[in-house]
Amino acid sequence: MPKGTGVLSGRIWLFGDNVDTDQIIQGRYLTILDYSEMAGHAFEIPRPEFAGNVKRGDIVVAGENFGGGSSREEAPHVLLELGVGCVVAESFSRLFYRNAFNIGLPALIVPDITNSAKDGMTLEVNLVKGAVSVVETGQILHGQPLPRLMLEILRAGGAVPWYRKKKRKQS
Amino acid sequence: MIKLGKTLAEKLLGTHTETGKASAGEIVDASVDLLMVHEVLGSRILSVLEEMGVEKVWDPERILVVNDHWAPASDTQSAEIHIRNRRFVRQQGITHFCDVDCGICHQVLPEMGLVKPGDLVIGSDSHSTTYGAFNAFSTGLAATDSAIILATGKCWFRVPESIRIETTGRLPEMVMSKDLILKIVSDLGSSGANYRSIEFHGLTIDSMSVASRMTMCNMTVEAGAKCGLMTVNDAVRDWVSIHAPSAQWTPTLPDTDAEYLETIKIDLNSEPLGPIVALPHSPANGRPVSEVEGVRIDQAFIGSCTNGRLEDLEIAARILKGKRVNAGCRMVITPASRDTYLQALRSGYVETFVRAGAVVTNSTCGACVGGHLGVLGPGETCISSTNRNFRGRMGHPDSKVYLASPATVAASAIEGVITDPRRAA
Repeated sequence: MPKGTGVLSGRIWLFGDNVDTDQIIQGRYLTILDYSEMAGHAFEIPRPEFAGNVKRGDIVVAGENFGGGSSREEAPHVLLELGVGCVVAESFSRLFYRNAFNIGLPALIVPDITNSAKDGMTLEVNLVKGAVSVVETGQILHGQPLPRLMLEILRAGGAVPWYRKKKRKQS
Repeated sequence: MIKLGKTLAEKLLGTHTETGKASAGEIVDASVDLLMVHEVLGSRILSVLEEMGVEKVWDPERILVVNDHWAPASDTQSAEIHIRNRRFVRQQGITHFCDVDCGICHQVLPEMGLVKPGDLVIGSDSHSTTYGAFNAFSTGLAATDSAIILATGKCWFRVPESIRIETTGRLPEMVMSKDLILKIVSDLGSSGANYRSIEFHGLTIDSMSVASRMTMCNMTVEAGAKCGLMTVNDAVRDWVSIHAPSAQWTPTLPDTDAEYLETIKIDLNSEPLGPIVALPHSPANGRPVSEVEGVRIDQAFIGSCTNGRLEDLEIAARILKGKRVNAGCRMVITPASRDTYLQALRSGYVETFVRAGAVVTNSTCGACVGGHLGVLGPGETCISSTNRNFRGRMGHPDSKVYLASPATVAASAIEGVITDPRRAA
């Protein structure tokens, strides 16, 4: 999460409903030990051009139930590795949502986002307010503000630094 | 204000929090009874532990490490992951370790007596919902959360709201608990139980074997559920007395005035259930087998944490006895564990399978994750007793997977096309 404001902006990569974990990163790549090598296979099935063309700060926008299926943390991790700044979806599977925050990748729930966001347009995201705007059309959509705990984990930079901070406080 | 009763999820999680309570919607810190990790330990968790600066695990007797997904190693990378797991087990003095000869985590964990009613069990695998069959709260988490549990024995949980499903009536001949859960997942939709607990009740569930119950709890995650929970029945009592004879436990029941988001009633007597097949590419695409009969298959697969247990092999052997796998397709059978394999050997099932022309592999996740021992090629179609038919799950992105019960898979293997197992009876 960017320090301070919690505002980010980036180019939209648009996906539909039920993008499962095998569409994000296929099971057969999970033995690859190096994330930068694995990331080359991100979204290989639905959008084979993704890994080669995604730019730092780009935003993945999707419909309902993004990241359903496997518990694999590799799913948000390959996106983070490629520089994706945020995932905005109409809903997330519980495992993807939790895993994303754990590694410091923001995930925001915005109903109906796929009706307003178009592939290649720019999205501005306010994580604290839970609001997004499509820059080209000026359309503003209100999603769910991040729950307090998720914001706390994100501000720490993920669950590991969050854990270390908590441990330091206790000792 | 009226004090509402507690669901199974609230009660089972509540006994693991400091306050002794847990209410739906609240976030609680809970102490875990057992953590299961597989290859994700060597591939991802160890580096997180290093980053956290953790030198000793919280309790080496409450951790199970399993090398199961690519067992034995399918390539040099999985071999390296297995080496790392073995080294970690030695260094930390971890009591419970299953190397590549044991079988699939969700089958070996109960066989080792590591779950009993009332427990909180976490696994680094989404199908860790399986242990709900034992009246335990169990769910999957991934690398970072597993690392935090390895370090502290604790984790935060959002206490789930619950959906109650009451099933009465008998499953007809050749119709299995897999058909019932495929119907339920399809009725709910692939995210219909997202963040929620599914609580199973009713005489159908009470009279089920442990294996049939595990199949159902296993697949609750395909509707997005955090857990699938059941109460104790006689089969579970017998299981625990055999596999964990010295364990102290009491059964947990939900309160009669517990609050549910929804109660679904299924009466199999008034609406008999037939075999269900989930079409590509979602486990929630369940349809009556009659709608897909005749679809040509290249591979028939029986195995996985969903349906690779003895009763699954037994019904397949009954169907395949004295028959041949169709010349137009191949059949792969992967028993869920070494114990299952041994029992299948003793019962003569393995000989039946081999004589029928099936390939019987060692116990591993194998083909289910597209790992090895039955990976699909371009354009191929597989009927499978597993849990997921996502595009590319079992191999090539242009392959197709139809999910079904072991009975439907076995009947289809003989015909080379998807077949109603009731015809094979």
